[in-house]
Amino acid sequence: MSDTALAEKLVEIVGARFVLERESDLLVYNSDGLPGYRRKPRLAVFPGSREETVAVVRALAASGTSFVPRGAGTGLSGGALADDVVLLGLHRLKRVLSIDHENLRAVVEPGVVNLSLNRTVAPLGLLYAPDPSSEAACTIGGNIAENAGGPHCLKYGVTLNHVIAITAILPDGEIVVLGNPEGEIDGYDLRGAFVGSEGCFGVALDVTVRLTRKPAALRTMLADFVSVDDAARVTSAIIASGIVPAALEFMDSPTIKVVESSVYAAGYPADAAAVLLIEVDGTEAGVNADRDAIREICISGGARTVKVAQNDAERTRLWQGRKKAFGAMGRMAPHLVVQDAVIPRTKLAEVLARISRIAAEHRVTVCNVFHAGDGNLHPNIPYNADDPDEAARVHLSMGEIMRACVDAGGSITGEHGVGLDKIGYIELIFSPESLNAMCKLREVFDPDHRSNPGKVVPIHSCQEWRATPAGRSSEEHGELAGAAST
Amino acid sequence: MSVATFSVEEDSPTPADAGPACALQGTPLAAALPGINACVHCGFCLQACPTYLTLEDENESPRGRIFLMRSLLEGTVTPNDSAVRTHIDRCLGCRACETACPSGVPYGQLLEATRATLREAELPPLIARLILFVFARPTLLKLAMFGSRLLAATPIPTIMSRVTGRAGFGMAMLASASAPLERDMYVAHGNGEHGTTAVLLGCVMEGLFTETNRATERVLTKNGYEVCSVPGQGCCGALHAHAGDLEAARKLARKNIEAFEKSPTEFIAVNAAGCGAMMKEYAHLLQDDPAWHDRAAAISARVRDVSELLAAAGPVPGGRMPLKVTYDAPCHLIHAQRVTLPPLAVLAAIPGLELIPLRDSENCCGSAGIYNLIEPETSDAVLAPKLENIADTGASFVATGNPGCLMQIGAGLLRSGSRARAVHPVDLLDASYAMQVTATTD
Repeated sequence: MSDTALAEKLVEIVGARFVLERESDLLVYNSDGLPGYRRKPRLAVFPGSREETVAVVRALAASGTSFVPRGAGTGLSGGALADDVVLLGLHRLKRVLSIDHENLRAVVEPGVVNLSLNRTVAPLGLLYAPDPSSEAACTIGGNIAENAGGPHCLKYGVTLNHVIAITAILPDGEIVVLGNPEGEIDGYDLRGAFVGSEGCFGVALDVTVRLTRKPAALRTMLADFVSVDDAARVTSAIIASGIVPAALEFMDSPTIKVVESSVYAAGYPADAAAVLLIEVDGTEAGVNADRDAIREICISGGARTVKVAQNDAERTRLWQGRKKAFGAMGRMAPHLVVQDAVIPRTKLAEVLARISRIAAEHRVTVCNVFHAGDGNLHPNIPYNADDPDEAARVHLSMGEIMRACVDAGGSITGEHGVGLDKIGYIELIFSPESLNAMCKLREVFDPDHRSNPGKVVPIHSCQEWRATPAGRSSEEHGELAGAAST
Repeated sequence: MSVATFSVEEDSPTPADAGPACALQGTPLAAALPGINACVHCGFCLQACPTYLTLEDENESPRGRIFLMRSLLEGTVTPNDSAVRTHIDRCLGCRACETACPSGVPYGQLLEATRATLREAELPPLIARLILFVFARPTLLKLAMFGSRLLAATPIPTIMSRVTGRAGFGMAMLASASAPLERDMYVAHGNGEHGTTAVLLGCVMEGLFTETNRATERVLTKNGYEVCSVPGQGCCGALHAHAGDLEAARKLARKNIEAFEKSPTEFIAVNAAGCGAMMKEYAHLLQDDPAWHDRAAAISARVRDVSELLAAAGPVPGGRMPLKVTYDAPCHLIHAQRVTLPPLAVLAAIPGLELIPLRDSENCCGSAGIYNLIEPETSDAVLAPKLENIADTGASFVATGNPGCLMQIGAGLLRSGSRARAVHPVDLLDASYAMQVTATTD
């Protein structure tokens, strides 16, 4: 089907205002949260209801058109970029369909923004636990695609642990229910397969999420250190003590400085080498005991001070600084890259030291702000891409940092997803057999590879795909997969 | 095993990385590049943006518009691309994105620079030019305001306020502006202990909200400010700057700077949030004018929203007024000036007043200068949730400190059949003081 004919068909379904065809209208959809990458979609379509979404996916299926589902475009792996395929924006599906207070669950559309779900359920004394730092903008659908984490996932678990069931439309237009809205799952856990599938398995139409009662009590602490090493060791010591903090976050000196210069300045000590933001929750008596124990571990581990938030306003301020740190890095340089490796917690001190040596060697600034309790690193490097020399140094550093993490026994992504950005690293951690198994799983949902093509698993890893002439030609111009392996 | 290199390497160069080549050299937009570069595309602004929430397309969001600005500089789109112009035109300029932005993107300045640059390619619509033409000419403006007042004194605006379309809305705006809170007159006394202040009279405020201006002078006096009159002052230039007519804005700014220099009060009180924001940014407006920049900065440093001065002085409590009031924060107060608590302090000085929180009070009402006359559909769509939220409070007054918001919300309430009224916080405080005076004389 020609682009014009397809566009006409889509306009019939969603109306002219929600089908973008002109290049100038599509420009802003060339990037997601990682603007170092740009890909041009063929066209963009934004259905406004479940019925429209079903009709759009079926129209795309009928014409054999590939598409990329997109939520708010806040992803940090280039996962929602559409390279000459249709961009399917789901941000208009933003209704909370029902809240079941007694059974602690809600049914939401995929475009509901994480924080707005939390605002909706807050008056009932409930919350939706996964809280990615982009919570103010990212959607539940996008959270499912990436199996998003967040500071509080240390205690509460990631998105997968909070999704009970998903009604999804598969790329061929079939509607399926994955998981059981009533609780128990019969047979294989296909919901588990769908969560974290990065948009490659289809599109969620509605999601039954688990709600959590707000904890009775919270203590939020800020421990500051003059040594990065001490902060890293204290992280391990806290977990080793048997306490499971609700969150345990790490920020280093460059991060602290940039946050403190932003509208989200949180009062972090400007001269600290690192701070740990630690939260414990539970019953009033329990949190006080945990707070005292953690304070003791911090101080004996070399913390200068441990400050405890005295009220909600102080707590919010401490958290806002952490959560907006990524955005604040625009103050340092026009471009930014961030990695998402997960390493064993006990290797934190060692890997951070290695990262710092890599940064010094290549003369780049690394800002470390990450989920220390999970060992989920986020080295950010702000840089100016207009300076080819600096850009080359940044790219070299990122490659070396990634290898250092893998060498330490880590993985390449904790919560941002593989997308486009990490596809070149995936063969570092998976064997060809494993990658082929992933392709086969994908083909259960999307046999034609039409949903979010070219992401997560390099096409050349799919052995059956490779065996066909079309597959071979795909491999040849599969620039990323090929180019990233030297 | 193959060794991975960082894959962006293969991805570059994207147009963004193509070096400093610029398609629009020498334009205001090109000068704004550092501000554009501060955007890292995190998307935290999206949910703060009223046009994104209403129109559901990222082209109508701060992140999207900044991308378009960058594309203009890269030459991927041209200044006469109608789609780009539409998206830039549709921005309310509420600057809610600025209070959401961790990276400190000076979005309001970028918008003005973009509009100024697009203007060079194609002039804005006739109605916008006509309004700006009048506002830049004191005599014409006085005449227009006089005509509006005459019209407002007749029952015509009220009768016409229910007519559908822009004419009806305009009449409703006029009708809602013409009758401020009724109160007994009193003479304010004060000891001037908090310093001297001038008052920006403004054009719409002095033209249509004359009583609010007098009330401003009275409440400032009563709260210990010595109010001095400043002849020769005029329109602040905000409407022109927002529309990208920076030259006209600078002309008006210079005139005001001269006028306020002649009367060296400690403060310049402004009761219109949009005008206050503009005057606080005179230094930026005149940054490339060496003869005026420092003078502008000196004036900007004296400017305060009236609520800031009142809150700093107390304010002195007034007489009892058992009213249900809700507060809507004007964008140019909360986002542009970052003044949040002082207006609430003003309302708290009124005994008996019950302040009911307004959901999403930090969201724009859709007034945005002359936006509601030029982009009526979007303006209405942005206003609709505001009216719903106001209705939910059950308040009989919506307090807000900006003439555009007063008329936009006022007109919306009138047309929706609501009995609630929009009122300036200063008018409420003044009425409360008047009541006190009446009580003592009785």
